[in-house]
Amino acid sequence: MNASPVVAVTGLHRGENPQPGSAVIRSLRRVYPELRIIGLVYDSLESGLFSEEDAPDAAFTMSYPGAGVEAFWQRLDAIREIERFDVLIPCLDAEMGPLVEAPEKLRERGIHACLPTAASFKCRDKSKLAELCERTHCRTPQTVAVSDVNSLHQAAASLGGNVFVKGRFYEARHALTPAAREAAYWHMLEQWGAPVLVQENVQGEEYNVIGLGDGRGHMLGSCSIRKMLRTASGKGFGGMVVRDPQLDAVAQSLIAELRWNGPFELEFVKSEGPKGEYCLIEINPRFPAWCDFPSTLDCNLPAAVLELALGWQPREPLRHASPGKFFIRHAIDMTGDIRDLAALTTNGQFFRQPREIIPHPASSRSL
Amino acid sequence: MKLAPLSSLIRPHGQPHELQPAMQAPSVSPHAVAATFDFHTVTWQADGFGFDATSGEFFTASPTALVVMQSLSEGMTRQQILDRLTSRFEVSHSTAERDLESFLAEIAHLGLTPEAN
Repeated sequence: MNASPVVAVTGLHRGENPQPGSAVIRSLRRVYPELRIIGLVYDSLESGLFSEEDAPDAAFTMSYPGAGVEAFWQRLDAIREIERFDVLIPCLDAEMGPLVEAPEKLRERGIHACLPTAASFKCRDKSKLAELCERTHCRTPQTVAVSDVNSLHQAAASLGGNVFVKGRFYEARHALTPAAREAAYWHMLEQWGAPVLVQENVQGEEYNVIGLGDGRGHMLGSCSIRKMLRTASGKGFGGMVVRDPQLDAVAQSLIAELRWNGPFELEFVKSEGPKGEYCLIEINPRFPAWCDFPSTLDCNLPAAVLELALGWQPREPLRHASPGKFFIRHAIDMTGDIRDLAALTTNGQFFRQPREIIPHPASSRSL
Repeated sequence: MKLAPLSSLIRPHGQPHELQPAMQAPSVSPHAVAATFDFHTVTWQADGFGFDATSGEFFTASPTALVVMQSLSEGMTRQQILDRLTSRFEVSHSTAERDLESFLAEIAHLGLTPEAN
């Protein structure tokens, strides 16, 4: 292991559907500003590469998940020949499967990570949520996994017609008509593979809980929000911290049942009406894109993951943020340089150079 | 006699929940309401902004609505609330009574009263 650990982070694109990697980097640097961080990217235009504040020190292109598991490990080994990173924080759902199913491959390479067991990972799969929720007495929308169009329509009819068609890893489309359902089905199949999920539509406000499980059934820290702003595709673009004992209890029971190890995000819809209940929509097995927000409020979960992965003592207890604090996402333009793009495209790697700083004219004036 | 809307509770996302406009031109000053007070799960400020820490929702309410909710939080009966309204606002007893009933039904519908749960 390096004298000072080197951390690899994935998922650096903060586009229309923002990935969490840049937020993870930003949180890590809040606590460890000198930490060396490398980005593992799938596209040379991942926006986080060009950020002034949360870019990695170096970046390497990865093989696409479609290339298979062997290609994934081979590429990881090739990257470590150049940059021997010690900790991996995966931030994309599609990467999680190969990692949780072969933790020994990480161990034998000396890579530290904070991952759930394969068993708990499978239990939170979208197609298994009903069983998990039955054990924890948590409500969840009826969900049917389908792999052909006939089953799609049958499932939708059995759920009342007003459904969401969801991809195995990401994306959901609200579909009211057979034509819309079919279009969504083919899209999800092409993007994320089979099965496609058909889910009952529960009306209500959306709540998310981000947290860190210790693998023994406890949460080391968490933060709950109500989504305030949503994009057309339903992605949260703003969230308000809430503190509801009912929501805390539901989250705790799910994490206890799963004995979840590592970061997670629970997505709920609270059904409408004064007696609305939290209805679990899905469990994401990694940080969400808003994970840096709690870090600004004494709940730095990415830093805690690093410490947990390395077996370090946590610096201080993680606090639940105060209700009333909120975040609003703000999209800005990044300036890139063709040299960085060329390096990534041709060699699959680039090392960040110190930025040219143009002094403000005022700074050279004598007072 | 002029009466302002008893309240205009507005939820996030620009989805307004308008209540029956009946009372007008509240003659009450904001100082008649405590700086902040808790009514069920919502903490109200004297300027009419309310935040529910358990749901993350926020609301705005007119000064007259604040008086009603503060009165409820103090455990007043409906008759006592009516007396307070008619003494502070230029409103007839029958109008105030009608608007109060309407307002109570509305806040119950929004889940803002203990009874609603």
